[in-house]
Amino acid sequence: MLFFRKPIEGVERPQMPADVVIVGGGPAGMACALRLAQLIDAHNAAHPDAQLSKENIYVLEKAREIGQHCLSGALLDPRAIAELLPDFEKEAPLDAKVIKEGVYFLTEKSKFKFPITPPFLRDHGNYVISLNKFVKWLGSKVEETGITIFTGFAGSELLFEGDRVTGVRTDDKGVDKEGHPKSNFEPGYDLKAKVVILAEGPRGSLTKQLIEKFDLAKDANPQTYGVGIKELWEVPSGRIAAGEVIYTMGWPLTTHEYGGAWIYGSKDNVVSLGFVTGLDYADPRLDPQRVLQQFKRHPWVAKLLEGGKMIRYGAKTMPYGGWWAIPPVAGNGWMILGDSAGFLNSARLKGIHLAIKSGMLAAETAFDALKKDDSSAAMLGQFQKKVESSWIKQELWKVRNLHQGFENGMFAGMFHTGLQMITGGRGLRNRYPAKAGYAHMQKLSNLPADGGPEAHLLGPAKGDGKLTFDKLTDLYHSGTKHEEDQPSHLVIHDTNVCNTKCVKEYGSPCQNFCPANVYEMVDDASQPNGKRISLNPSNCVHCKTCDIADPYQIITWVPPEGGGGPNYDGM
Amino acid sequence: MPDTILVVVEQREGKLNRVSWETITAGQAIAAATGWTLEAAVVGSAPASIAAEVAGKKLAKVYAIESPKLEPYTPDAFAAALKQFLSSKQPKLVLMPHTYQVRDFVPKLATAMGRTVISDCIGFKHESGKLVFTRQMFQGKLAADVSFTSEAPWFATFQNGAFRGDKAEEGASAAPVETVSVDIADGVIRNKPQEVFKEAKQAVDLTQAEIIVAVGRGIKEQKNIEIAKQLADALGGDLAASRPICDSGWLPMDRQIGSSGQTVAPKLYLALGISGAIQHIVGMKGSRAIIAVNKDSEAPIFEIADYAIVGNLFDIIPPLIEEVKKAKAGG
Repeated sequence: MLFFRKPIEGVERPQMPADVVIVGGGPAGMACALRLAQLIDAHNAAHPDAQLSKENIYVLEKAREIGQHCLSGALLDPRAIAELLPDFEKEAPLDAKVIKEGVYFLTEKSKFKFPITPPFLRDHGNYVISLNKFVKWLGSKVEETGITIFTGFAGSELLFEGDRVTGVRTDDKGVDKEGHPKSNFEPGYDLKAKVVILAEGPRGSLTKQLIEKFDLAKDANPQTYGVGIKELWEVPSGRIAAGEVIYTMGWPLTTHEYGGAWIYGSKDNVVSLGFVTGLDYADPRLDPQRVLQQFKRHPWVAKLLEGGKMIRYGAKTMPYGGWWAIPPVAGNGWMILGDSAGFLNSARLKGIHLAIKSGMLAAETAFDALKKDDSSAAMLGQFQKKVESSWIKQELWKVRNLHQGFENGMFAGMFHTGLQMITGGRGLRNRYPAKAGYAHMQKLSNLPADGGPEAHLLGPAKGDGKLTFDKLTDLYHSGTKHEEDQPSHLVIHDTNVCNTKCVKEYGSPCQNFCPANVYEMVDDASQPNGKRISLNPSNCVHCKTCDIADPYQIITWVPPEGGGGPNYDGM
Repeated sequence: MPDTILVVVEQREGKLNRVSWETITAGQAIAAATGWTLEAAVVGSAPASIAAEVAGKKLAKVYAIESPKLEPYTPDAFAAALKQFLSSKQPKLVLMPHTYQVRDFVPKLATAMGRTVISDCIGFKHESGKLVFTRQMFQGKLAADVSFTSEAPWFATFQNGAFRGDKAEEGASAAPVETVSVDIADGVIRNKPQEVFKEAKQAVDLTQAEIIVAVGRGIKEQKNIEIAKQLADALGGDLAASRPICDSGWLPMDRQIGSSGQTVAPKLYLALGISGAIQHIVGMKGSRAIIAVNKDSEAPIFEIADYAIVGNLFDIIPPLIEEVKKAKAGG
């Protein structure tokens, strides 16, 4: 019997007043906290008689340690961090300056280099970083200011009064598998905040709650996502220079799927490589973790990695619906930042700089709100205006139609991209429509039984243990750990759909798209199709793919007990 | 008359819980800061000897609150007895250690008296005439100062280790002990105490086992665990499992081997129907000898097994049990 996590009812919860609560300690949340501290410090220095306090500004971070759940390629465009901390180059953990880039189109056995690097993939001036290390550093800067970061605490739901967000409830601790309080039970706190800032990363669970409650996405394109599956490797020296950046398109994907790979040379012969698969593919049997394994079997990639060792694994989704998919980002008592809002440049596959910038702009608005003691929709709406008049919009506007152009495959996509590049992002019309990714998934009855041209992408990877790995082995390298005795934080709203409908119609794609083996169909003779959904929630790497890709949209990802999750050291 | 602080020490089955000394130390410190009088109380069916033990400390007075109905411990009886006593004595502040027993009855007591409890405090401050208690929030990341706005008596409990029990000051002479009999009416006690539950010690310490028979998903059904158990019994070994088995509740969690369970290194490890995911292997790879039985000849467990048996474990194990029994009987 599956029991799903929800806040325990009928308990008295400790209340705590707060000025600002930032949910999520990634680049957006940390930048927001740091900028807010800078503004308050400057204000206090100038106005000894009207001091503002930083004591009631809190960052909630579900990971046990700062940065532990942060995963990205990553390349850092320094534009925003240079605005936030002009001296960042002296102290930030930057692994290498980009010295060389190349874009390749792969076929199964060969590669073709693009004669010129498309302008949006030119990375001179950017840095190869580990987002985990970078955020750890940014978090230490926040802590120096005196702002408290509650690591190990997740936002489990938003608190409302009418049309106003009034706070955040943190996760209940010490709840057993069946939802009963254990001897160490501690109810979540109700943090009553003047300003709630959501910086949860892609497909934030509170952001989802907010968007649904106020139907915020009604005028936006549906957000579309990709899932990046990443491995960190140590390779023999001489294979790739620190600061060398490679992008590939093509194989192992066919022209029907959207996606591509990155390979970044970092320092000390560490290579970051990964594959982003658009979560709008047709075949439910496709397995993004397998796509990465296939990619590594390309002779050129295999040679690069030969004799090396895989040291870390992880997965994370990214929103690349672009400008038209961004919902309103501010309202009565709330603001949304970074990937939670959809601030990601889908052409450059970069969002860290936009996350930081959005955090800074939100901090300016929150600062004004504190000064005037006004966090109404009109006040916080300043953030919306700031975004629209900043370089965030400038940058995203140029690529506003990029991903939509690819909805009908690669060739159409390249045509539209070319057209958009010469028309300032417009292409054939100002706003291309989009369809949610899961809506592209086809029923098995519409697909060739043998998989057709996609056969090599379907089903679980076997792995040779050297170059390629099965999912469980990869998962082991994510360092994921959760309290085992707790309700499932993958909330399936109707398991009958899994057991009776999905298993027949789609063949249970959850088993394939989840990069962490959370979902499993086990034998059960009492079920009409002989299979029953079973969950391994403690495998979850918090990537949110299931919440996004499930064709029936009956999975909701909520945070597990705070502290659990992957350990993305160095990722 | 100055205000009074009353420390309710804890006894269970006639024995003083030593954490009570810490509460007395706390009471003495608050008394020193506020100038209030410090008294103590013991609640029980025969509290006299404990009252005498407590009276050695620097206290103005010790009350032995007694009733035959206070043994065995029930939250109803304790709350009723203390309510009666406190209503007549009207102390300003009532201190207790934050023990399981106190956590059991103090909410009831405070609610019955219409008062609040500041629980699990780690310290106090007395600032410009105001008494403030410190308690931890967010798992110790934040310390909150809390004070009473309600009328006395105020209730506060102190976390274990917040004060040092050995620092409780001795009195110059023994404090006077006053016995107070309380009347607990019939029908007040609705609780029927059962035998005191002690968390079962881990039934097995697998890390010490010399022989382990571990089962995995290949066992198929819960009832089949029995044959693995028979093999373990025949070998004189312990039964263990990979995660899916414990996840399904077929064996308790403390028998789980692997990255989310125990790490073992027995002389002999028999892996029955375990595929050998790395998560399991890290928990048993140090075993001296590994015998693996699996239908799938490509199961990763065979890469680390010393002896590999490819086959159906239901065909292999029963005769193996017979052979082990024969060998043992013969040897």
